[in-house]
Amino acid sequence: MAVASETIAVAVRPHHTLWGDAIVRLRRNKLAMAGMGFIILLSLLAIFAPLLTPYGFAQQNYSDILLGPSSKHLLGTDQLGRDTFARLLYGARTSLSVGIFTQFIVLSIGLPIGAIAGYAGGRTDNFIMRFVDVMYAFPDLLLVILLSSVFYGTRFGGSIYMLFLAIGLVAWVNISRLVRGQILSLKTRDFVSAARAMGGMGRYLTVRHLLPNSLGPVIVSITFNIPRAIFTEAALSYIGIGVKPPTPSWGAMIQDGFGLIFAKPYMLLFPAIALALLMLSFTFVGDGLRDALDPKLRR
Amino acid sequence: MKKRTIIFSLMAILVVLSLIFTSCGTGTTGTKPGKLTDPQEIRLNLGGEGNTIDPNRASWTNERSVIMQCFDGLLAFKPDLSLTPMVAKDIPTLANKGISADGKTYTFKLKTNVTWSDGTKVTAKDFEYSIKRLFSPDLAAEYTSFYFNIVGGEAYYSATDKTAAQKTALKDAIAVKAKDDYTLEIKLNDPLPTFLNLLALWPAYPLRQDIIEKYGDQWTQPPNYIGNGPFVLTEWVQQDHYTFVRNEKYWGTKPYLTKITFLEITDANVCLAGYKNNEHDQAGVPGGTEKAIMADPVLSKEIVRYAQLSTYGMQFNVTKAPYNNKTLRQALATAIDRVAYVDKVRGGVGKPATSWIPPGMPGYDATLGQQYTFNPTKAKELLAQAGYADPKTLKIKFQYANSGTNPTLAAFLQAQMKDNLGVDLTLEPMEPKAYSALWNTKQFDIGFTGWGADYPDPDNWLPQFYGTGAGNNKTGYSSVEFDAIAAKALKELNETKRLQLWADAHKIVVDDCPTAYFVYRETFVLKKPWVKGQVTTGMDGSIAGDMFLREVYIQK
Amino acid sequence: MFRFIVRRFLWLLLVLFVVLLITFILMHLVPGGPWDREKPLAAKVVVALNKRYGLDQPLWEQFARYIGGVVHGDLGISYSYSDRNVTSILLRGLPKTATLGVLAFILAQAIGIPFGMAAALRQNTAVDYASVLFSTIFASIPGFVLGILMMIVLSVMLHWLPTSGWGSVRQIIMPVICLAALPAAQSARITRASTLEVMRQDYVRTARSKGLKESVVRVRHIFRNSLIPVVTVAGPELANLITGSFIVENLFAIPGVGRLFVQGIYARDYSLIMGGVLFYAFTIALLNLAVDVMYATIDPRIRYD
Repeated sequence: MAVASETIAVAVRPHHTLWGDAIVRLRRNKLAMAGMGFIILLSLLAIFAPLLTPYGFAQQNYSDILLGPSSKHLLGTDQLGRDTFARLLYGARTSLSVGIFTQFIVLSIGLPIGAIAGYAGGRTDNFIMRFVDVMYAFPDLLLVILLSSVFYGTRFGGSIYMLFLAIGLVAWVNISRLVRGQILSLKTRDFVSAARAMGGMGRYLTVRHLLPNSLGPVIVSITFNIPRAIFTEAALSYIGIGVKPPTPSWGAMIQDGFGLIFAKPYMLLFPAIALALLMLSFTFVGDGLRDALDPKLRR
Repeated sequence: MKKRTIIFSLMAILVVLSLIFTSCGTGTTGTKPGKLTDPQEIRLNLGGEGNTIDPNRASWTNERSVIMQCFDGLLAFKPDLSLTPMVAKDIPTLANKGISADGKTYTFKLKTNVTWSDGTKVTAKDFEYSIKRLFSPDLAAEYTSFYFNIVGGEAYYSATDKTAAQKTALKDAIAVKAKDDYTLEIKLNDPLPTFLNLLALWPAYPLRQDIIEKYGDQWTQPPNYIGNGPFVLTEWVQQDHYTFVRNEKYWGTKPYLTKITFLEITDANVCLAGYKNNEHDQAGVPGGTEKAIMADPVLSKEIVRYAQLSTYGMQFNVTKAPYNNKTLRQALATAIDRVAYVDKVRGGVGKPATSWIPPGMPGYDATLGQQYTFNPTKAKELLAQAGYADPKTLKIKFQYANSGTNPTLAAFLQAQMKDNLGVDLTLEPMEPKAYSALWNTKQFDIGFTGWGADYPDPDNWLPQFYGTGAGNNKTGYSSVEFDAIAAKALKELNETKRLQLWADAHKIVVDDCPTAYFVYRETFVLKKPWVKGQVTTGMDGSIAGDMFLREVYIQK
Repeated sequence: MFRFIVRRFLWLLLVLFVVLLITFILMHLVPGGPWDREKPLAAKVVVALNKRYGLDQPLWEQFARYIGGVVHGDLGISYSYSDRNVTSILLRGLPKTATLGVLAFILAQAIGIPFGMAAALRQNTAVDYASVLFSTIFASIPGFVLGILMMIVLSVMLHWLPTSGWGSVRQIIMPVICLAALPAAQSARITRASTLEVMRQDYVRTARSKGLKESVVRVRHIFRNSLIPVVTVAGPELANLITGSFIVENLFAIPGVGRLFVQGIYARDYSLIMGGVLFYAFTIALLNLAVDVMYATIDPRIRYD
């Protein structure tokens, strides 16, 4: 009996792409969703700050100096009578931008460099890694200060873009090393040989297979880079080459609060807690992303 | 029975009397305190290490604080800042022929019992060596220009590219001579009534030629650091602490303290924490916390506050538009509510200032500068007069070093300009070094700076700040009238006339407003109750009361 | 392997040279110099000082002289502490900074790695959540905030520990904890992440299905392979600790290299800055080399040409 083309019902799973699958899994992660929610909430608060508080962030009121939280000032006032809640809201803008935009610079430099080095191997790898070594050998604080000081002397000095540039230029090194390390170990894995056997070469291989699999530690690293970038901004503000006043930033507020810790400890606590919450959020989101993107967990 | 009572009473009285007499004046340690049973040791915070503790080369207050404990000069300042002879027997005057009739020759007679901490005698040669060394072109000392009136000094100092032989010749030509072991003669180019003050300052402390020549740069390391002062530096762990012990061979009244430690904690919060933890006996407080400390039940009793002899203000670069417009400067100066700043923001620490010379200094005039008392209406009028009826057309910038209380001050100023005049003040905080560079090269717009007295006289305040082309004149201010008066005042031997001339000069400067004066600073520190005998002056170094640590004693 | 190390060492020297060159150039581009003070110096003094330190010579000559000195071990005289030379300053600070860094590193790994692994092995249990909480909290607090909080509680309120200084064991406790907090948190997170990943690998499943005891699986397979990303970060982390401990050193008044170095930057002390960069760069480069060697040892799949 000749069996013609019989269609056999086979349980075939619907085809998910890596990213589509990731989003599904991410949605299920409660902590990550909470974190993302907080970040979005904070961004909205920051954008609509003028509607949320009657006070300007630079508005000084000398009869209301260093007051505690009250109905008039939700979170109290600072040493010049400026409303703390208002400064936190406007400061969120600065801190969020610094944290996030520096990572764009970090990724756009670090990822390609690390990937090329890892994949190409040999002399290219060596050359790139030596260049990375040079960058790496610099004490970051020194380099950021030097770069910022040099920028500060130019026309653009003190602008927030210079800040992004200075911090980003120093921070990409970690990522590139991480990516390279990951790619080096992944290169020898079976799925890579399989993909090669199927004819995939170079860029296709890197982008489609190697990079997504390297992303785990990269993402973890980024979520730690964000607080680092914000702290770096605080250090620069302390020296005088951070964001120009009267623009508030949480880093600068923490610095101010630090000096007043024996007088009014809450001046330090409010921005520190705000910052900690933001970091927690980024961390949960980062964790969630990593789990979501892990191809091993795909079903 | 009665006899025995009498005898016992007599014996009791004798015992009590002898106790009283032995507790008073234990040798040379003074008579103020009763019996001192506690270890006479004190721990203070210097806050930061200076570059050098070589008296000729030092200029920072934290360097001065160290040097002052180990050396005594020809003259010294009393707590009221008048001069008193120290190594010198008397203060030279016209009457005792210490000063020549033309005011150009000074003769000092030294005490014969003054010794170094290793026992050798201090002679006039030690002073001659030190002052000549101060002018050495290879030393590049920083306070030398103050002494340029000494004949031959400036010539030697400028001889950086001459041969060794030429340098030696110039050095020998300096008119500072040890006529004999205990007589020192100094000749000046011009009479200078305030010259004696300079001999109470640290660059003129005596130095040991043999030690410096033997050890070179290492002479400032203990045990080579030999001085003739009440304390000896026995230990210097760099960046960590200095330890001084009492100079047991001290020629004068020995201090009570047997040990002093200067720590180097740069963070004011840590310093305060250490104070609360009883690790230091005195501490400064982080700026902005003064109000809270005054409200604290325990700490409020330990506050020591007194006026420093210092003034701070906004300097205009009068060579740059729009600051060359006098009316504009006056407008800006009148738009600042100094009282609000001092009372509200700084909790009452400091005093509003409308003139240059601070209270406590001869030459201080409380009536001067009243036209700049805060008055927003008047300020707006002046602004319009200056040509800026529409404040939006005025663009001004304020540059400052981003440290200490400056950021708060800058933010305050910005708000003042906006609220009172409608003017936008752009703030440019800078790293301290970058700011100094901008300042020294006169490229700033409005800068923030001040001055603290080296010695209590107007000629330490006026000529080099506001004289045309003077060393410290970074505002670019130049007034023919001022220069004329200053030139006369520097040489005027009649004290009343001299002070009047300086008062006139002061008035000219205040009216022309190259600087909008802001605040007279006040020292505000905490001191443990067992530290007694402290004497503070407006000219202290980095540590409150460090000019007279020899008077301090501990009593718990 | 030996040739590899030698080649890398030579590269290290070249890297140091380039680093010094870039630092030198940047330093001279930054506004302000060593003689810019609040009380300005007379012009003559500045000229004399410049001559004394050779600052009046053309830049390339200054650099060449400096490199010449370095080769002989002479790092020049400090501009801010004019009686001392840079080498002695750095050497004096080095033991303190190194002790602080190494102790903090050990503490960080001793806490971080076990925490991270335990969290991964017991994923989604209380241990896991505790570990994540711990690591996120300590990654979110700036070092100086943690330091001052510790100081307030442990010194001012409880009087258990001295607030600052260096010399006794009690004085080291707070700075080390403060410095170790962030790296411990990072170690925990990265260890957890990589352990999780390894656990899902096929060879782990194979080992388990072979019937090996869980503890053997853990030690022989999971442990070793989890360490790769940890090593990647740990090596430079140690370098960072040793050199970047400025905040902690400044706060606790510890006279180490970090504190000296950043003060040198503020003071534009050219020779101290160059000396610090040299020391720092050398340390990091050396540690990178060590990391690469360890890579090859740990992961047999990585081979170098």
